[in-house]
Amino acid sequence: MRAFTVALALGASLVATAAMADITVYSAGPGGLIDKLAAGYTAKTGVKVNVFQATTGKIMARIESEAANPVVDVLISASWDTATDFAKRGWLTAYTSPNAGKVPDFLKTDTAVAQGISALGIAWNPASGTPKPAEWEDLTKPEYKDLVTMPDPAQSGASFELVAALQAKDGWDLFNKLAANGAIVAGANAEALNPVMQGAKAAVFGAVDYISLAAKAKGESIDVIFPASGTVIAPRPMMILNWSKQPEDSKKFIDYVLSDEGQKAVAATYLMPARTDIAANRPLISDLKIMTIDAAAVYGKRDQTLAEFAKVFGK
Amino acid sequence: MQRAVKTGGHGLLGWLAGISLTVIVAVPFVFIVLQAIFPELGRGSLAAPLAHLSRTLGDPNLLRLAGNTLILGLGVVVGCVVVGVPLAVARALFRVPFALVWDVAFLVPFMIPPYIATLGWIMTMQPRGYMQQLTGVNLAPLLFSVPGMVLIMTLNLFPLVYFALSRTLEAVGTRHADVGRVFGARPVRAFFRITLPLATPGLAASLLLVFALAIEEYGTPAALGTRFGFEVLVTGIENRISDWPIDLPGAAILSLLLVCLSLIAFLIQRRLLSTRNYDTVGGKPQRKEKRPLGALALPVTLAFALVAFLATGLPILAILATALSKTISGGLKPSNMGLQHFAEVLGNTGGALQALANSLSLGVATALVAGALGAVTAYAVVKGRGRGLWLLDALAMLPSALPGVVVAVGMILAWNQPWLPLTPYNTALILLLAYCCILLPQPVRYASAAFQQIGDNLEAAARVAGATPFTVFRRIMLPLILPSLITAMLLVFAVASRELVASLLVAPVGMMTIAGFIWRQFEQGSVGLGMTMSFIAIVLTTLIPMSLIALLRRFAGERFSGLH
Repeated sequence: MRAFTVALALGASLVATAAMADITVYSAGPGGLIDKLAAGYTAKTGVKVNVFQATTGKIMARIESEAANPVVDVLISASWDTATDFAKRGWLTAYTSPNAGKVPDFLKTDTAVAQGISALGIAWNPASGTPKPAEWEDLTKPEYKDLVTMPDPAQSGASFELVAALQAKDGWDLFNKLAANGAIVAGANAEALNPVMQGAKAAVFGAVDYISLAAKAKGESIDVIFPASGTVIAPRPMMILNWSKQPEDSKKFIDYVLSDEGQKAVAATYLMPARTDIAANRPLISDLKIMTIDAAAVYGKRDQTLAEFAKVFGK
Repeated sequence: MQRAVKTGGHGLLGWLAGISLTVIVAVPFVFIVLQAIFPELGRGSLAAPLAHLSRTLGDPNLLRLAGNTLILGLGVVVGCVVVGVPLAVARALFRVPFALVWDVAFLVPFMIPPYIATLGWIMTMQPRGYMQQLTGVNLAPLLFSVPGMVLIMTLNLFPLVYFALSRTLEAVGTRHADVGRVFGARPVRAFFRITLPLATPGLAASLLLVFALAIEEYGTPAALGTRFGFEVLVTGIENRISDWPIDLPGAAILSLLLVCLSLIAFLIQRRLLSTRNYDTVGGKPQRKEKRPLGALALPVTLAFALVAFLATGLPILAILATALSKTISGGLKPSNMGLQHFAEVLGNTGGALQALANSLSLGVATALVAGALGAVTAYAVVKGRGRGLWLLDALAMLPSALPGVVVAVGMILAWNQPWLPLTPYNTALILLLAYCCILLPQPVRYASAAFQQIGDNLEAAARVAGATPFTVFRRIMLPLILPSLITAMLLVFAVASRELVASLLVAPVGMMTIAGFIWRQFEQGSVGLGMTMSFIAIVLTTLIPMSLIALLRRFAGERFSGLH
């Protein structure tokens, strides 16, 4: 029984260390970025930020489970669809940050504004002994037989939008050819990139760009190619939840992320900054051809698209 | 749970076990069941009951997922018997050279998160992996197949069988078989008719645990299975909550199916055990002498070495190689090797040191709570009397069939209710609760197997001599099961220190764990840094228990017989 007492004491001391946060932010990756933004905000305002960081899916599962007694003040998701959906449910507080002036109109609504933007591209390993691909179609060529991976659209919102956009343009033909060429659908974004870095595979079809660009900066043999025919972008919405007990501090947090300092931190992770007047060491939206999707229609038949996709890849 | 009170002299302990299990296991489980029935439960509403049931159960893929789950679970059980039983028999009854080395080597797989081990295997065996870089061949076709997956999960789980069976066989000893020999049985016959059947509780308990863990495991099926289209129930559950829109009720229903599978296995095991008497530890002292292996010494040693290399050496080397590589694409060249990732972890990049401190203290706390609760529960179930005891046993087994992510959702649903005046949610205590829930089956199984071998006459003698039930438990029962219990607690410590799935979801805001750190690095493409943290965590979770055992042996000497 002594063990019980010891454990209780240990538990109590653990509780004591988890002090209540001043504001609570749930954020999708990258982890280093939200830590930096939280620290910068605290240094500026003295308000403490407690961060929960996970994939968009895990964050949503947590918010869904907590809905009876929610604790999150600010949510940063990796999928714009969450902003649309939460607004529809009436869960968001309307706010337009004074710092959002230089954010393009399509990256903000009454209730959400982009933190940064990622785009999808082809992540290709130059050491793989394959020719450099330029277009999505290239990866269906025999040179890339059994050498292509793809993030699962069921697990990655951006990957789903790419599949939907390409499918709306040309039907399932491209994906049928990819599957016939031995392309595999492997987990979320990181799982698709890993075999390409080691050289087991040559290219990722639809890789999230900033992860690959950061890996390249660390010296990995990886290149990111944005096909001229077009790709999709994934703006990362920031939202203030309407149950927040600290709406003023939450608004200041959004202001901070959109400040020069905050946007530079965003750019340092190889995401595109939401503000057009902040420089970044990577191709920007104006350099890319963006395929537009009709979000309402595309998400309306998400289940059907995913089922057809799964059939193509024999899953 | 009230029935536990009818357990004669064990009432108090039964109550203690019952109440604790209710809080730790039953409460979150009830909320999962409610979630399966009421899709709007998270919002505090009981609207539209069972709206999801037909859609989830009508999914044409469901049968395939359940079938694959069964194939995987049974495959791993068979694999663990093939690998674990011969090794355990050799270890328990014979003098195996370097026995202590093998014991340590077989403990290490518990310290390696299955997902990391699998990633190590992939990076070794895939085309242009470490194996091809060193030897020119790759074994990708074997790796990305059902047998490959079963093999890797077997190598991760067989130590459960090895440790449980070798400890039980040691307790059985050779005395009973010797009696058989006196009556003319040949050695092989004496072993199969006497020694092995007497060890059934340990074997059956560990195989049940292997089955439950195999069908509940997420990391390996997710990393390997998706590559060749082999999906199981757990990956199906994860898919339902890995992207918006989140399908919590669907995930809850699939989890209940998984629980049913485990429950069936549990009932089969109970039926097997309930009909016989396995008492082998009576009041009489016995010699614990082992026999020499003779001419078999070399082949047996080689077999131990091979399994140790595959289960421990290879994954660890792959993890270390990745940790030391400056870049993954640089390969195994001297110019690409360096300690920069280790310097980053020690320099506290991304809160690495806090993550280590948090996880290790949580691991210790979980081992103490789950160990104590496991011993009390096992005692109440095995030695107690009363009709409610099977319920206690089932509750203690339940979590091993629940995927970690579902336990996490159940915890949030249960402990984040607005009317609760005091809640562990959003404190480190919720992680402690979640870990205790997930890991409780381990100490309960190990301790029950040990209790089943202790004859009732020991207890009766103590009671006649005037000892209270509590004194009997503390002075007689606990010391006798301590070796098994300590082994289980070390496992709990190791697994709790690196638990991934629940940690990611229920971790209090602002709190980083080892697994969370590793996962975060992988997600950002920093595989090297993630593997470095894994390596450090594996070394620490191995060294801490080992030094503890060394200390215990120094102070308690002969009386402490765990892991000898």
